[in-house]
Amino acid sequence: MTTETLHDLRGDQPRFQGLEAGHRACQGCGQALAARLTLEAAGPDVVLANATGCLEVFTTAWPDSAWRVPWLHSLFANAASVAAGMEAALKMQGRDVKVIALAGDGGTFDIGFQALSGMLERGHNVLFVCYDNEGYMNTGVQRSSSTPHAAATTTSPAGVARIGKRHLKKDILSIVAAHHIPYAATASVAYPTDLRKKVRRAIQVDGPSFLQVHAPCPLGWGHGGELSIEVARLAVQTGLFPLIELERDVLIGAMPIRRVRGIKDYLRPQGRFRHLFADDPRAREELAHLQALADHNIEVYGLRGDRPDTLDSEGADTVHRGGRHFA
Amino acid sequence: MPIMTPGAFAYPGTSLDFRTGSWRTARPVYQVRPSPCHAACPAGENPRDYLARMAEANPRAAWETLVAFNPLPAITGRVCEHPCESACNRGQFDAAIAIHNVERWLGDEAVRAAWDYPLPAPAAEAPEVAVVGAGPAGLSCAYHLLRLGIRATVIDRLPEAGGTLRTALPCYRLPREVLDAEIGRLLAAGIPFVGRTRLGQHVSLAELSQDYAAVFLAPGRQQPRRWDVDGRTPKDLHPALTLLQDWVALDAVPAIHSALIVGGGNSAIDMARVLARTGAEVHLVTHDAMPGPGVSRDVAMKAAPRDIDQAIEEGVTIHVEHGIRRLILRGEKVVGVELVRLKKLLRGDGRYEVVPFEGTETVLHVDQVIPAVGQVVDADGMGSLLSENGFFAAGEDMRLPGRDAIYAGGDARERAWGTVSGAVGDGRKAALALHAHLSGRRYETGPAPRPMAIADLNLNYFERAPRAEETLLPPGLRQGCAEIAAGLSPEKVGAEAQRCFSCGDCLACDNCWTLCPDQAVLKSRAPLAEGARYHIDYDYCKGCGLCAHECPAGYIVMEAESRPAGRQQGP
Repeated sequence: MTTETLHDLRGDQPRFQGLEAGHRACQGCGQALAARLTLEAAGPDVVLANATGCLEVFTTAWPDSAWRVPWLHSLFANAASVAAGMEAALKMQGRDVKVIALAGDGGTFDIGFQALSGMLERGHNVLFVCYDNEGYMNTGVQRSSSTPHAAATTTSPAGVARIGKRHLKKDILSIVAAHHIPYAATASVAYPTDLRKKVRRAIQVDGPSFLQVHAPCPLGWGHGGELSIEVARLAVQTGLFPLIELERDVLIGAMPIRRVRGIKDYLRPQGRFRHLFADDPRAREELAHLQALADHNIEVYGLRGDRPDTLDSEGADTVHRGGRHFA
Repeated sequence: MPIMTPGAFAYPGTSLDFRTGSWRTARPVYQVRPSPCHAACPAGENPRDYLARMAEANPRAAWETLVAFNPLPAITGRVCEHPCESACNRGQFDAAIAIHNVERWLGDEAVRAAWDYPLPAPAAEAPEVAVVGAGPAGLSCAYHLLRLGIRATVIDRLPEAGGTLRTALPCYRLPREVLDAEIGRLLAAGIPFVGRTRLGQHVSLAELSQDYAAVFLAPGRQQPRRWDVDGRTPKDLHPALTLLQDWVALDAVPAIHSALIVGGGNSAIDMARVLARTGAEVHLVTHDAMPGPGVSRDVAMKAAPRDIDQAIEEGVTIHVEHGIRRLILRGEKVVGVELVRLKKLLRGDGRYEVVPFEGTETVLHVDQVIPAVGQVVDADGMGSLLSENGFFAAGEDMRLPGRDAIYAGGDARERAWGTVSGAVGDGRKAALALHAHLSGRRYETGPAPRPMAIADLNLNYFERAPRAEETLLPPGLRQGCAEIAAGLSPEKVGAEAQRCFSCGDCLACDNCWTLCPDQAVLKSRAPLAEGARYHIDYDYCKGCGLCAHECPAGYIVMEAESRPAGRQQGP
């Protein structure tokens, strides 16, 4: 196929491609996929405020931009504040354009946390999307408050004194939902249809809405780039990353898990959990701990499906000839 | 050159200047790979491809895809033991696709809608081949020759075409109207048929060789194989083949109180069922085992499992893994047999040996023993061409060794499939080889490629769905030519086609397009030049392999990048 036809074909894709090729994300990047899927559903009439992080760095290597929508980066901490300002300005101009703030888990759980809280409290009409890759991957895989318990990072190494991160993954969704906002949900790149449905829902909401998207990082998690979807899917199917929706801090939806997998299926492909498979009593304890956390999620959110459902963990990604499923 | 803007902002999508494809060490390639159903089909059909057309609600394209290999789908859809379904990967997931019923419906629909066989009219100067035998092998050969632009004339000793399909297949499995309609349409599509012409009597092989560019011999196996027990046979011995032919032609069955059929093939089962319908007590004894999961094809009964089940429903008692040790005769008439348990055991040299077990003998009283132990070729007119064991020693290309322009196939071949679909496949291979021969090329067949295994698919993307089962006539109502299997409704046929995993070919599910993190997969609204719906833009593909891993159908393979890693040109 000639360069011209390829160029024409790229310009004629039957979807909105808000994030273009040529960005510098690693092979198999979950975040790059999550960002494109988000914009596909959010459509062209959006403006973006991006916190510092992988997404900001790999999409905008000077003087290029991979974005096809207005995009602004200011600081690590202030994506929510910038988005709030953009929303206020657009409102003053009488323009009906949705503002989306994008941040990684560092820009959401830690560094951007107070700005996020303030934006939610002031009730801005902003969708805040957190691409949760569970660590500071851009700067060399440091732990964040989103890094799961027992995962190894460069600042929570598995060694003699400790066996990966000592603390638990912060329950950011509950904290965000406690702001009594109209819509807060989790999604995963392994379930694109579910993810896009939640983006559309969050865009329709008048007022602040929040999405936490589980986005594997092959570099930081230590798995092959080809396994990003597989790993994300297993996070859902083990119960470690429940896909839930909250309205005004009330649980209104959860993706049922048809076949609950043991957590080892999820942990084993990932280098950051390799130490948990050593012949070590502490490793066995941590495995039991992680299993208990998964079981707890399943119980608290009522995730165990009682019968096959087209929207459960096995049915939601079913494909059909002709691609109607992803239409 | 970087574009400097007043506010130092970047224009949208300018990252396209940066070709991330140079990072790649392996490239994903769309590659059609062989499906297990295709690899298993003796006729060479590719059910995956016609199921795809059917799933797209295009039955005519499905039928044309099908008849590119097998011109007799209404017939094989009914009588083939469908090894495609045994090989179907879906069988290890929930239940195999009911391929035979899709095939049958397409064949019937083509007859109903009078779709023309896609056959070009042969050129006036096209060479002509003589085909001896108008059974499935001969008809298939003539049809495929015509597809390849070679004319063919079919001769047969009987007045009507059909061969074994007509003389020995019971009408409750293959209704005459279906047989007549499909074969009639095939002949009408441009195949001259000359009946009542027996080789060696009305025409000689030498004459055929002189008058035609080549000859294809497909006489089938029309003589019952000799049968005895330690050299003894009952006086009133009737081989099953003869009785079946009489029943098919004259609707005549001898009055028998109780009978023992010897053999485990389709003729044995058909004979048993025909007799059981007259109210006789019918037993069947075979060295083979009951087919089932884990039972090797080498030791299992050759009859189709479906027909074995129906025979049991109709009251036939089957003694598998038993043999006849002795005939019990009163004078020259049989009054019983001594049976013994035995097993086919694999020996060190890779051959099976029949081992009877002492102390397991039983006596069964019957007043007829009917052998159905196979047939041999009627050597009339071509005796010199048969090998020592009485069959044609044709090679993979169906050519007789040492003969330039004489080919042979179907049941008359050594190591024949012994099935209709096998004969259809032989006819097709012979046509391809004849075409190569007549155009002065070598006929090449590569090694059989490894079919897609279930482990090559990504099963996360499929849901369990029940197989559509056809209704069967209850045993009490099975009389005369009433067809037992009802087939499927068009809705159910469509649903079956939708269940296909599409092993090794594009399902057009959009997974690669949706899941590529680098927007390196482009989708086309119309099929691209290569026939695909998606195209990988290697300027940007980083080679992560995610698309290949997540392809439900195993249609994407990763190939090592051959070029040395190029230095990325900076901005």
